[in-house]
Amino acid sequence: MKKIIFVLILISISFLQCTKDAASLKYSAPTGQGGSLARFAIVGNYLYTVDAQKLSIYDVVNPAEPLLKNTVNIGFEIETIFPFKDKLFIGSTSVVHIFSISDPANPQKLSQAISPDVLRRCDPVVAKDTVAFATLRTNGPCGGIQSILAVYDIKDITKPVQKASYPVSQPYGLGYQDNVLYVCDTSGLMIFDITKAYQPVLLKTIKDGDYVDVIPYQGTLICWINGGVLMYDITNNKSPILLAKIL
Amino acid sequence: MRKLFPLLFPLILLSCTQDRVSSLSGQVEGYSPVYASAADVNVITFETTARQTEKAGKIYAIGNYIFQNDVNKGIHIINNTNRSHPEKIGFIKMPFSNEIAVKGTYLYSNNLNDLVVFDISDVAKPKLVKRIQNVFPAVDQKYPPIPNASFECPDPSKGIVVNWEKRLLTEPKCRR
Repeated sequence: MKKIIFVLILISISFLQCTKDAASLKYSAPTGQGGSLARFAIVGNYLYTVDAQKLSIYDVVNPAEPLLKNTVNIGFEIETIFPFKDKLFIGSTSVVHIFSISDPANPQKLSQAISPDVLRRCDPVVAKDTVAFATLRTNGPCGGIQSILAVYDIKDITKPVQKASYPVSQPYGLGYQDNVLYVCDTSGLMIFDITKAYQPVLLKTIKDGDYVDVIPYQGTLICWINGGVLMYDITNNKSPILLAKIL
Repeated sequence: MRKLFPLLFPLILLSCTQDRVSSLSGQVEGYSPVYASAADVNVITFETTARQTEKAGKIYAIGNYIFQNDVNKGIHIINNTNRSHPEKIGFIKMPFSNEIAVKGTYLYSNNLNDLVVFDISDVAKPKLVKRIQNVFPAVDQKYPPIPNASFECPDPSKGIVVNWEKRLLTEPKCRR
């Protein structure tokens, strides 16, 4: 009996040790956050990657040993992946594909969102509650005429409906913090009030660089610009304050 | 002679086609593959000093750290503990890398077409712990990224295709 208790104590000490090791790491978040132009995304114990044509699903329960569980052919010219709750929004040059990952290793296609305004474009997408925002860029290889910020109603995820569009110049990535949406555009960083999602109101456009993508993260707006990174304090999300530049 | 005539007919057609090509002096805008040797592509090294960003790429945030890809060059590691003074503390030198994701203390990226995993429990000193080959075709080895384009047919004996370059080609044999 004593032996058993001794073993149990030893085991619990070793557990404690593990916990202590983990806590000594310089950060503690389970996963981080990528931008809207990412091709890699982690949700729970799965890593999702999109190449030009397919979605690959890796089990990363043991993060050092990804196990390829599945691949799904999606279509052509796939560019971006954005995870939101139990959904994946996959942007291509023609449509946004929406997948359910309630069974994480077996994504099921639910629908695709097509804009009536723009037939062919590059479109990173982010989702917020029952709304999805996408920038549809029409210049260069993306085709089309007028670039827009498109707002989709995704209450019925199997039938996304475009509810609003806002003309922009040449948009790239986008991201939101609460009721504010940040859109990277050649005109600058466009700051929209999206309290009423289907009536985005442009508050202002700031230009401290050429913006490509944004990550709103723990009160900081991290911007990928040509040349490096800009950081803004977004404690007041409507009025970003420039903190630093990393080149 | 009557028997020969049907044989002559396709010859005439063929000559027409050839004439048309030469009348355009054989030069068309298209894509040609850029090659690298497989050995060069797979060499990953680590630097513990800051380096200037050459061509800024994708970003990733986790805890007090930011990672930024330097397009096709590698990944900058940025300590953001002091938001007003973020500093670069290292660089993963990795050819043809573009993607970043992190779970716990492991960072995932691509080294051209391979999925690679780094242990970043000591974030300034990443360690390569896993490589899964050819699961992420970052650059199409067979075709340029643009449809309906003429291109120089890739020759695998020259190496791995790491990019497609737009330029004037002389009578390119491939098209899609």
